[in-house]
Order: sequence, then structure tokens, then C-alpha cells
Amino acid sequence: MQKGYVQVTDSYERILHWMLAISCLLLCVTGLGMMFQTFNFIGYLFGGLKSLKLVHNFTGLVFAASLILVIRMWWKEAGVFVFPEDLEWIKVAGGYLWHVDKVPETGKYNPGQKLFFLTVVGAGILMIITGLIMWFPTALPAGLVRWMYPLHALGFVAIFAFFFIHLYLGTIGNPGTVPAMLTGWMDRAVLKKQHPGWLKEMEHEGKLVVYGEEKKSGAHGHHA
Amino acid sequence: MTEKIKLYDDSKCTACRGCQLACKQWNALAASQTENRGTYQNPPSLNANTFLLIHYQDYVDKEGNVKWLFRKEACMHCTDAACVTVCPSGALHYNKATGTVGLDHDKCIGCKECVAACPFEIPRWDAATDKVYKCDMCESRIMNNMEPACVKACPTGALSWGPKEKMLKIAAKRVEKLGGNATTYGDKYVKGTHFMYVLKENPAIYADIHKDPSVPLSVTLWKGLLKPLSLLAAGGVLGGAFLHYMIHGPKYPDLPKDENTEGGK
Amino acid sequence: MTNHWVDFKNSDVILIMGSNPASNHPVSWKWIQHAVDNRGSKVICVDPRFTQSASKAHLYAPLRSGTDIAFLGGMIKYIIDNKLYFEEYVKNYTNAAFLVNPAFKLPGDNKGVFSGFTNGKYEKDTWSYQTDGAGVIRKDPTMKNPNCVFQLLKKHYSRYTPQLVSKICGTPVDKLIEVYKLYGSTGRPDRAGVDLYAMGWTQHTVGTQNIRTMCMIQLLLGNMGVAGGGVAAMRGESNVQGSTDHGLLFHIWPGYLGTPSGSLATLKAYNEKRTPKTKEANSLNWWKNFPKYSASFLRSMYGMNMGLEEAYAALPKVDDGANYSWLSLFDQMYKGKFTGFFAWGMNPACSGAHSNKVRQALGKVDWMVNVNLFDNETGSFWRGPGMDPAKIKTEVFMLPCAASIEKEGSIANSGRLQQWRYKAVNPVGDSLPDGDIMSEIFFKVKELYEKKGGPHKEAITRLTWPYGKMAGKHFHYDPRKVAAEINGFFLADKKVENPTKKGEFKEFKKGDLVPTFAWLQDDGSTSSGCWVYCGSVTADKGILPMRRDTADPTGLGLTPGWAWSWPVNRRIIYNGASVDLNGKPWDPSRAVISWNGEKWTGDVPDGAGDPGKGRPPFIMKPDGVASLYGPGLADGPFPEHYEPLECPVEKNLLSPQKNNPVIKRFDKPGVGSDLDVYSNVGTCDPRFPFICSTYRVSEHWQTGVLTRWCPWLAEMQPGMFVEIGTELAKEKGIKNGDRCIVSSARGEVECSAIVTPRFKPFDIDGNMIHEIGIPWHFGWITTKDRTYSPGDKKAEVFTHGDSANLLVPTIGDANTMIPESKAFMANVAKKGVK
Repeated sequence: MQKGYVQVTDSYERILHWMLAISCLLLCVTGLGMMFQTFNFIGYLFGGLKSLKLVHNFTGLVFAASLILVIRMWWKEAGVFVFPEDLEWIKVAGGYLWHVDKVPETGKYNPGQKLFFLTVVGAGILMIITGLIMWFPTALPAGLVRWMYPLHALGFVAIFAFFFIHLYLGTIGNPGTVPAMLTGWMDRAVLKKQHPGWLKEMEHEGKLVVYGEEKKSGAHGHHA
Repeated sequence: MTEKIKLYDDSKCTACRGCQLACKQWNALAASQTENRGTYQNPPSLNANTFLLIHYQDYVDKEGNVKWLFRKEACMHCTDAACVTVCPSGALHYNKATGTVGLDHDKCIGCKECVAACPFEIPRWDAATDKVYKCDMCESRIMNNMEPACVKACPTGALSWGPKEKMLKIAAKRVEKLGGNATTYGDKYVKGTHFMYVLKENPAIYADIHKDPSVPLSVTLWKGLLKPLSLLAAGGVLGGAFLHYMIHGPKYPDLPKDENTEGGK
Repeated sequence: MTNHWVDFKNSDVILIMGSNPASNHPVSWKWIQHAVDNRGSKVICVDPRFTQSASKAHLYAPLRSGTDIAFLGGMIKYIIDNKLYFEEYVKNYTNAAFLVNPAFKLPGDNKGVFSGFTNGKYEKDTWSYQTDGAGVIRKDPTMKNPNCVFQLLKKHYSRYTPQLVSKICGTPVDKLIEVYKLYGSTGRPDRAGVDLYAMGWTQHTVGTQNIRTMCMIQLLLGNMGVAGGGVAAMRGESNVQGSTDHGLLFHIWPGYLGTPSGSLATLKAYNEKRTPKTKEANSLNWWKNFPKYSASFLRSMYGMNMGLEEAYAALPKVDDGANYSWLSLFDQMYKGKFTGFFAWGMNPACSGAHSNKVRQALGKVDWMVNVNLFDNETGSFWRGPGMDPAKIKTEVFMLPCAASIEKEGSIANSGRLQQWRYKAVNPVGDSLPDGDIMSEIFFKVKELYEKKGGPHKEAITRLTWPYGKMAGKHFHYDPRKVAAEINGFFLADKKVENPTKKGEFKEFKKGDLVPTFAWLQDDGSTSSGCWVYCGSVTADKGILPMRRDTADPTGLGLTPGWAWSWPVNRRIIYNGASVDLNGKPWDPSRAVISWNGEKWTGDVPDGAGDPGKGRPPFIMKPDGVASLYGPGLADGPFPEHYEPLECPVEKNLLSPQKNNPVIKRFDKPGVGSDLDVYSNVGTCDPRFPFICSTYRVSEHWQTGVLTRWCPWLAEMQPGMFVEIGTELAKEKGIKNGDRCIVSSARGEVECSAIVTPRFKPFDIDGNMIHEIGIPWHFGWITTKDRTYSPGDKKAEVFTHGDSANLLVPTIGDANTMIPESKAFMANVAKKGVK
């Protein structure tokens, strides 16, 4: 770790993130194995399609638990748009699509990230509800149950697509951001480029934790 | 493939239930504890151990004439079978020789997707084995040039089995002979079923019969639209990202200009 | 049956009355459907309840249980009034032209009884025919003489007007006429009709007369002996025909030879008494051969171990006038007149009328042997409902026997068709074929007689038993040897004249099989266990019931190469009546037999003789013709409507005589017992206001001893139910599926209610009368709530409820004593509600 790196996430956040991410990925993979007979071979990795189904179902539970905790943790930071800053950012698409001299400053999470978060939350909840009903379909009338499947598929369309967006933007699309979810420490320069508003706010409030420096104030407050 | 159809003619059915028993016997299905609930019909409905059920129905028509209607409920073996469409594992499949819908229990993963998808509400899931059960038209018999067990057992000719074209003709002829409200049921739905009825009465008066069954819209949306869309969208994203990377480039931090770097290196 | 189930396909009108073949004889419906599909035949169903058969019939008419004679009597009137009868047939092949004693009186002129009624029975002097000086019956071929059978018949049934019949039966007049008209249409030579009956007709105090009424209709319409005709006794058990043929009933030996009574001390006296005589010149009077059959039967019992007279003396006789039918047997048992009892393949604790009395009676014997596949309500009666095992002395032995598929043998079905069945699997556990069990008992009993002696010990010790051989400690019975014994052998070398070709002789060696019963001898040189089966086993073709040739040369479904039917492989008996006096078939398109100029082709001819020779075709009747007038029966030469003993009406609308006058009432002093009680006999009893009838379902067989243990069957029909009309259910506050108590003067049984529009109340002379119905297959042994001892087998699927026969009265038919299970009085109430 280099001196001067800024702590952007704590371990709790990172663990939750990865629980969510891995369960989501696992769900996507196992789901694909059941959705397309061409992907039935994925079942072999799990000892057969039947166990694949079990893995999918129980991973769904992990995903559900993670999602609930994640919502609790990130709702304030990523679940609500702040105006007018976020609107300004949206107007220029965060500088991702065309050249922008100055990307409007946003909070810790920019509206793009918020949109992603909200999509994950929305689609995730949809997946959990529809998935649970699909797990126990005989409890409800077939006419209702049968609509759970397209809804589940709809959620999958969104999540699967967003998964790749997230993958791209979280890695090579935004070099330097990966450590945020690995070590929790980010290069101040990257932060300045990506999250200038948050950096300023933290500095202003004296909450910034910089590697090698004494912590200036109390603990990170997300889960206080 | 020679498509084959099992025809049930309710005008010839005496509800002796030889078929219901033969089905259990051939398929080695267990009996359940039942009780008389005010009808001859038992078990009350299809279940994981009952692939075929004779329905009994008292019916009084507008003129006050009493009728006792019987109907054989079992898998209709759709040509466009929603269960096959939704089955994730290929357990439910079209029999290549006859067009009927088979069920390979080794492959069934108990996901119950077919339970919800079937427009005739046929497949039944069993908790103990975590598998779904339904009539497979006695694949073990029809693949060996025997008729399904129920057909074999039927004493009156209410059940018959044969090539599709022939059976459709027989059914049409029978409807014509019966006259009145007689009609066929099954052939007009889901691109034609491989188990079909000749009904002596107007189908609307039969209890628990599915009126105008079709592959549910949800299944079409799901398997016809959303399923390909999921890959399309993911593919689109990947393609878009690639293009973005190539054309717009990634968003590098502005390292050299960083005035806030503390402590340097 | 005169014909066979397959023959239904040749019928134009199929009358289902007294049976429910769709439920209880499902396979028969194959042929009914065949007739409907291929001939455009019409199916009529007459039943108190709208049954599965009714659901498939073209015409349904309801009638109140126990009023069949009124219904059919009305049909006879309609047929005669509208000249629908087949005149040529009636004139030549029935006794319609016979003149009856002028002193004979019909019930209409004699307070509801026939002439000769004294002290509870009929003196039949006035029922006789007029004869000329030579003893030949006087006849009027014009059938105009007021004393001729036809005119008496016409007069007798003239009282059965549609309006009166409708008041008695509760059948709407228009339905009556519709049925009469349709069925009457078969009186033409080119049309045939058949009636399918079962226990719905027999189990009445007028059971025999119910069937006779139909026989008379069939004779009037020319439907006897023809393809598509006959009166079809739909058997309730696959081999009941066979067991009856072989002496199941007390009053007949195998082959319908009347059981000798004590007063017939010698074989000579017995033959003299039982061999009918006739003065009718052309009549063949087949029963004149009686002495040949009795002698051959005695030889099959004792071979050459005894002389014929000695053998006759050795066999048990019945007391003169005594009745050993079911009701009487259990009455005597209840009164302690029995020491021991074999319940062999029977379950009287459920199948006997007034099962409570039967169950009490079982406690009065010292020992009982229960031979069955499963323990049943009979073998375990001592621990049944209401029983205190400590107070019961009866020692019960259970002998497990093999099921039908675990042994070889044959059955004879409704169509008199004897079919061979092979063993498929070995018997389970210690169970043995019945023949092995009987043999073992026989050898033990024989040994005891030989060691210790006893009265009539020769009756046992000198019996022949060439039915198998010892293998180790066990005697293995060989049914093929029994089949041969039933057919019969020559017991000595003998030269015999061909019975069908005068002057031609054939030489037989000792041990040769007798070719047909025509070759049987009265001198003791032949044996035959049951003469009607003689011809079923031949030297060159073996056991004919094993044949499986489906060829059908006539196209009528006679399939002469399939198995074998008695007599002489004849498929339709009385088929001599299917042709006119010159041998020409009434209906050439349906010719059972026809004369090709030299010989008969088609079925084995019956009573046909040579065409044009004037032989009347009903050769089993002494006078050669069928009996429209039947003086042989106990309760009258013509059927007359009498109410069931327990009935919902105060009086018989036809006459002052309410019930069959010659039935044996068990509630009379010195006849039955304290348990024999009836209701609604004299007056209506408000405690039991509804008619109750018992019946069967497709899924169970008899008392359910075999089927209740089969989980698949128990699953489909899991217990006692009572079918109640919608109107009655409303009146009684009973909802579909409610648990109900159905009770009679004799007991009660718990049932689930099936509330259904298929039971409609009857309008009986202005009164609304309800009928309910219950199945009789259930019993306490397969229920969940009974007490189980360690080791007791439990049914995989429990059934509910006990036997319907707990309710049935101990009253029987005047001729056969079959109990009146089909019409008695009962109440139904929701469980817990008074």
C-alpha cells in the first residue's frame, strides 16, 4: 500500500459487496444452466442439473440476505439522487460517452453508480420474490405463478446486462477503481477524477482516512 | 415420425375405471388413502401417483334431464407443449416417433416450471422425490408397438390409439354421428393435442375442463422473447463496452496534475 | 345364460333392467357398444337409480324397487293389445295354445291369489292342463279359447294398465309407453331384443317371477333361441355358473339333477320321481334320459366300489320339504343346530342378509374353518364390532388358500363357457390350492372313518379320488384329471348304438372318455361327474376348454373353437326356435342355425330335429314348448305383482293381496328367531320411511374380501356411501359428503352421503316416496378404527364402514329363498342427528 492512498471502503462493505457479487454471478451462471438446454453442461460442474438447481435456490437465499444488507448499507449514499448535482452529471453522461471538459462533481457515488445500484436493488428484489414463488409454485394458483417466470427472466435480462456494464466500468473502463473493492484503498488521484465531490466533502469534514496518517476522526459510519 | 393420437370418446365411456387402474398397474404407482367425499371420483385430483383420473359429474340440463358425465383427465400431449418449452433439463421431451410428450425422470430436476406452464394443469410435483410426474403415453409400451395401458384396458372402445390422420378422421366421423352438441376437444388447441376427446355434450358444461387452452402468454414472453433477449442484452453490453473502450477510451485519472498528493513518494 | 355376452352385439334393443352392466359387468359393455355402433341398436335402462348404464342408454325410465312385475306386466299387455307379438312363434313354440283346467282362477278373480291357495301354499290341482282321453294336452291353435294359455295371459295382464302401472312403479306413463313401444318392436322376425338382469331381479320375494315375466315377454316377441335374444343372467361372480352347474345349491346335484329326499329310498324311486313323462307325440323330452345321468353321477362318486343302488343309498338325502338355503342354514346355526362350519371362499358375516344375525350365529358353532386368501369378517367375527371374545366359544381355523392365478383350473362364465385357466405364479406362503386342501381333509376323514368307523362310513371310505397323487406328505390335486372325471368314462368294455344313427354301433373300451352325454348309460357302465359337461374332454383333442381359436364362421360371435360351452359346445341354447317349422331362419341375416338340405350348419342345433318333422324346439321341457304358463313354480303359473315384504305403501294397488302369499316369514312363531324383525309390513312405519336398495360398484367384488385389500381399488372406492336424492337430502339437512347413519329394523351402518339428482323421488299413487341406495362391499376388517392385535395385517389403504347386509331382512324369494336385498325399508340421518 502506498502512502497517501485513501480508504474508501471498509471490510464490511467489501465483504458484502463480494457476497452479493459472487452470489449474483453464481445465480447467473446456474440460472443460465437451467435457462438454456445448451448450457445444461454447466450442471456437470455442480454434479448434475438437480444439484445445480439446489445451488441456484440456496445461492438465491445468500443473494437475498446480501441484498438486504447492501440496501441497508448503501441506500443513503447510492439509493437517493441528490439534485441538482446528479442531474448535471446525468446531462453529460458522466463524461463516459463524449468528451467533457469538466465532469460535474457528485457525492461518493455518481448517478451512474446509483442507477446501477438501484437497478440491482430493483431487479434483485424482483428476482428474490419471483424466485421464491418459483421455488414453491404449488402454493399459489398456476395462473399467477406462471407470470413469475417471465418476470424472473426480465430481471435476469437487466441484471445480466448490468453485470457486464459493471464489470467493464469497474475494471478496464475506469482504471484504478478495482482496489476500492479489493483493498479498500484508492489512489487519491483516481478519486479526484472519479469522485471529486466526495473527496472534498471528506476532507472538509476531516473524515478522510489516508494511509500512513493518523485517523482524524471516528470510525466510518455506515454501519454505526 | 408417425404422429399418433389417443382418442377418448365420452359417449362410450362407462366410467368403469379400468383405465385408471391399468395406468397405476403399468406405471407401478402407489395408491393413496382416500375417503368418499360425496362422489365416486377418487383420488380427488391428479397427483404424483395418479396420471389418469376419471371425472364424475352429475348434470341436469335445462329441460331437467339428468346426465352423468364422465371425463378422462390426463396429459393432453400438446404439439406445442408449454411444458417442453419451459423444461430446463430436457426431461420433458417430444417423443420423436409419435409426437407425444415424454418425461425422463432421470433428467427431471424438480424445478416445477412445467407445473406452472401447463395450460391443462397436468404435471404434478412430488415432494418426496422432488420430481414431476405425468402421463408419458406409456412410452415404454408405445415404443414397443403396444398401445398405452389405458387403451389396452378399455372394454368399450372409449379409448383408442392410432396414427394422427386416422384418429382425426374417426373423431370427426363420430362427432357427425353423435350430432347435437358433440364436438372434438384438443385438436383445436396448442397446435393439436395427441390425446383428444370426442365429447357428446357441449364442452362448456364439463366441470374443470379447460376452456380454450393455449400456451400461456407468459411462457411465450419468457421463452420466446426474454430468453433470447437476455443473451442479446448481455452481448450488447459487451459489444458496447468494447466499442466504448476502443472509441472513447477508459477514464484515466489525471495523475500528473494532482496537486493534492500528500507526502509524495 | 341362454346366449353369451358376445351375442349382445346381435341385439337391436338391449333392455337393462335388474342390472347395471356398465358398472358391474364392464366387459359386457364392449358388445353393447358394438351393437349401438354397428347395428344402430337402442339401449333402454330401467332402474330406480340413474346408473352408469343409464348414462349410456338411449332411454331411461325410473321405477320403484320391487315393482318390476307390474312394469313388465304392463309391457305384456301393451304387446298383446298392439299385436306386437310374434304369432307364429308363440303358437308353435310356446304353450300359448294349451288349454288349462277350467277351474283355474286368476288373481284378478280370486282376491289377488291364484286358485288353490290354502294354508300359506298352493295346491296346484286347478293349475293343470286339459287332456284328452290319451293324456295328450288339449290345444286351440287359434288361441281363442278362453281357457287357453294365451287368453288367460291376456286376461291376467289386462289389469296392468299403463295408468295403474305408473301409480305402482312411479314411472311416468309416457316413459312406460316409450319403453313398451321400443322393446315391443323386437317382436318382428327381423328384430331381436335381450334383457340383461342380475341381482336387481333375483333379490326380491318375487325374484323368480321377475325373471319369468321377462322370459314370457321374450317368448311373446320370439326372442328366445335367436341371436341377439335371450334372457341374460349377468353373473355376479366369474364362476357362479360353473358352481351352480356342479351342485352349489342344496336342491340340485351336479347337472341339475334334483337332490333326492328322504322319501325316495331307492335309485329306482328317485329316477321314477324325477324323470318327466309326456304324451306329446313329437316332443323329445330330453329329461327322459334322467336315469342315465343319475347313474353316471353315482359312478363318478363311487366308481365300481359300490353298486348303483348302494351308491344312491350312501349319498345324503334332504328331508322332504326341508329348505337348506342360506337363510335357513344361518337360522338353524343361530338356533344352535350346527356343530361346525366351513366358510370356504365365503364371507357370510358380510354377504348374508341380516349380517348381525349371521355374526351371532357364527358364535353358536364349536368350530369354524375359514378357507380364504385373507382373514375376513367371518374368520374374525369373534372380535368384530359389538362382540365380546371372552363369551364366544367358537374355535376358528384359518386355512390360507391359493388365488385363482396361483392354481390351474377352469371357470364357467355367464355364457356357459368353460374356459381353462393356467397357473401364473406359485401360491404365497403356506397357502394351497383348494383341491389340495380338500384332498388332505378327505384323506384324514377317510382315515378316521376307517379307524374308528361311524354311520354311513362307506359314503366316505368308498369314494373314488383319482384326482392326483401324493408328493411327499402332500396330495397334489390335478384339475385336468377332475375335468376328465366330469366328462366321464366308460367303466367297462361296451358296444353302444349311436344315439343319433339307428343301427350303427360303436365299441368302447373300459377307460374311454364318453364322447357326449348322448352316449351315457343308465346301467352303470359310464360315469360322468356332471352330464351337461360330457363332451368337454375328448381323447383326440384333450381338454376342449383350453381351445383358443377365435375363428367365427357365422359372424355372430359364436367362435365354436374358443374354449367350450355346455351343452355339447352349443353357444345359443334353444336355437331350434330361431328357425321356422321348415327349418328356415326367422332372420336369415342372423341365422344361428340353418338347414343346407342335408344337415344343419352354424351353431350346434338344439331341438331342431329334421326340418318339417314338427319337433318342438324346447326339448328340455317335457311337452317340447316354452312355458308362457308355468305351473311348476311355487307362487303361481303367471307372475303377479306383489309388494316387497317391507314396502312404503299401505296396499297393493292391483289386489287385496299385498305380499307374495307363499313366502316364508321368519318373524312367525316357530319359524325364525328373536332377531328376525321387519318394518313396514302391515302399515307404514315412520321410523323407516325410505326404500333402500343395495348394489355394487365396479371397483369391488362381492363382500370385498379380495378387493378391499387391493390398494388401487380401495383408493377409488374407499368406503360405504349412501346415494340420496337431492330432494331427500334437502329434507333431511344432509350435504354432499356428510357422514350419515343408514338404519333398518335390523341394524345400522355408517356411510358418506352422495347427494345426487340421479335418485329422484317417486310419485306413488300421489305420494312422494324416496329411495336410497348403498353398496354392499365393505366390512370392518379393513377399516382404520378397528382394534388391531400385534401381527394383524393392515390394509394399505383403509376402507370405511361395514356391510350393507347388516340392514337386509331375512326374507326370501318364494322359490329360491334368495334374500330381498333390493327393496327394504330404511332411514337415513346425518350422523349425530336423530
